[in-house]
Amino acid sequence: MPVPAIEVQSLSKRYGQIQALDSVSFSVPEGETFGYLGPNGAGKTTTIRILTGITLPTGGTARIFGHDIIRETIESRRHMGIVHETSNVYDDLTAWQNLIFTAELYHVERAGRDEWAKELLETFDLFARKDDLAHGFSKGMKRRLTLAMGLINHPRLLFMDEPTSGLDVQSNLIIRRVIRELAGEGVTVFLTTHNIEEANLTCDRVAIIDHGKIAAIDSPERLKKTIQSVQSVEVGFDRQVPEIKDGLMNIPTVNEVRKEGDKIRFFTEDPSAVLPAIIAYAEREHLRVLSLTTCGPSLEDVFIRLTGLDTENDRRPLWK
Amino acid sequence: MEMRARLRQVPLDLSAAWAIARKDMIIYYLRPNIIVSGILFPLFMFLAFAIGTIGGSAPPTGGTSEIAQLGALIPGLLAITVLFSASSIEPVSIPIERRMKTFDRLISAPISLQALVLGESISGTLYSVGIALIPLVIGVLFFGNQILSPVVLLLALFLSSLCFSSMGTLVASYPTENVGEVMSILNLIRFPLIFLSGVFIPLSSLPGWGQAVAFFSPLTYTSDLIRFGYNGASHISPILDILVLAAFIIGFQAFGNYLYRKFNE
Ligand SMILES: Nc1ncnc2c1ncn2[C@@H]1O[C@H](COP(=O)(O)OP(=O)(O)O)[C@@H](O)[C@H]1O
Ligand SMILES: [Mg+2]
Repeated sequence: MPVPAIEVQSLSKRYGQIQALDSVSFSVPEGETFGYLGPNGAGKTTTIRILTGITLPTGGTARIFGHDIIRETIESRRHMGIVHETSNVYDDLTAWQNLIFTAELYHVERAGRDEWAKELLETFDLFARKDDLAHGFSKGMKRRLTLAMGLINHPRLLFMDEPTSGLDVQSNLIIRRVIRELAGEGVTVFLTTHNIEEANLTCDRVAIIDHGKIAAIDSPERLKKTIQSVQSVEVGFDRQVPEIKDGLMNIPTVNEVRKEGDKIRFFTEDPSAVLPAIIAYAEREHLRVLSLTTCGPSLEDVFIRLTGLDTENDRRPLWK
Repeated sequence: MEMRARLRQVPLDLSAAWAIARKDMIIYYLRPNIIVSGILFPLFMFLAFAIGTIGGSAPPTGGTSEIAQLGALIPGLLAITVLFSASSIEPVSIPIERRMKTFDRLISAPISLQALVLGESISGTLYSVGIALIPLVIGVLFFGNQILSPVVLLLALFLSSLCFSSMGTLVASYPTENVGEVMSILNLIRFPLIFLSGVFIPLSSLPGWGQAVAFFSPLTYTSDLIRFGYNGASHISPILDILVLAAFIIGFQAFGNYLYRKFNE
């Protein structure tokens, strides 16, 4: 079996009375885009700080491409790019100097270095500002520069702590595009987010973390399936169906049928089983199907259920 | 880490240390608070002593001019300049980098902690050597200073600068984002050193306990070695001065390395 990019076993971190991480285990195969989704204070940043060797865990182990992060810290870091939670660029250096300093810190070979730095600045739409001090950059520009710095050493594994949190639309689009391109190039991406839609859009698999514990790990689609009863199929016919008849009520696996405007919605645990029954019904009744939409539960539904946020929503601030 | 990996890491660490030092030079050398603490402070200190010396009631001996009296103070000025300028970069830069979170970059890079501590110290060292050359040259040009052994003098400046910048880096390990907190601790160490190291007040006129403390002050050996560079006279011994300064450097570096690791947990 190939060595996973990240392998974490029973990782724990205690800060005095606070159990920031509570025996977390997971493994990220090389090439995967792995999302770490959780509300503020869940332990996302703590996990990244441990995996990058900044903070020591109080228990458990973490391996990066097979290297123990505590005992082989430097070796583990060689193929790693890090985008910290705060856009930590040097305000008093230009965009170019920031990139080159990072390259030197990571021992990037001189051959090809400047070309790659230039390409990164172009990718992140910063090339025109390359000789300007980062001091004058907007929040989005600093974030993009931080990402460019995280990629300067051609990492095989990129850590990103809330890469798009609170950014302008243009920066968000660029960053999402880059994450997709990295996935295409086989780079492993570990990103944290409290944005469910982001996890849904960009990640192969998502771990939902809350209070330092992992509540679930799976692909976004499969996570949604864990609360299947909320799925539904929405159908629009060419004629109004005056009343919902038995033929519609008795479709197996349908829990509830509801008329919503000029459409009918079937709540079900298994949309794929419902579709043939609807088509058959339409043929029998000489109805034409104008629209057919399956609406899964959103990742948000999963998230709320797994973290119990709806029932304890005034315990702490949930979203930034 | 096994031995081979350790050896392979040495050149990588050195180049990273140099990159960190250069970054500090670009960003911090011209910062106002560093100029105040590294340049203006020793200058005012010197002026205070100079006015005290010239205005003092001691009768001029054998036609000693005021110029020559001032010139005689230059070795002492060099010693405190090195003390203050070498230890003025990291105690400012490191808390700022903690606040701006750029420090996270440094401590998450594929380099050893020693490379970080050394790189930070190098920027203070070069700053201090550069600043110390100003009074040195002025002394030679305008105050008639003669330098018997320029090599020893330069070695004294370099070793002492590395020693005090290592001390500054060590103090800056104190985990705070507030420059003032580090500066308070640092000044608690720096000010007593001025008076207990034979810089302006000769060791022989210190009380017994003062002489005992001076023995543990690196500035004592700095001052002694600088004087030896100027006029070949030394209370201690230039060889011993060099050895003790080297020991302080290694001690500060190693202890700094330990504290950065410890405070990071
Ligand atoms: N250095 C620290 N000292 C004390 N508590 C901390 C420290 N860092 C994080 N914590 C606590 O650990 C928990 C997890 O924090 P964090 O990992 O930053 O959460 P997230 O990134 O998911 O918002 C929080 O309760 C936080 O207050
Ligand atoms: Mg966080």
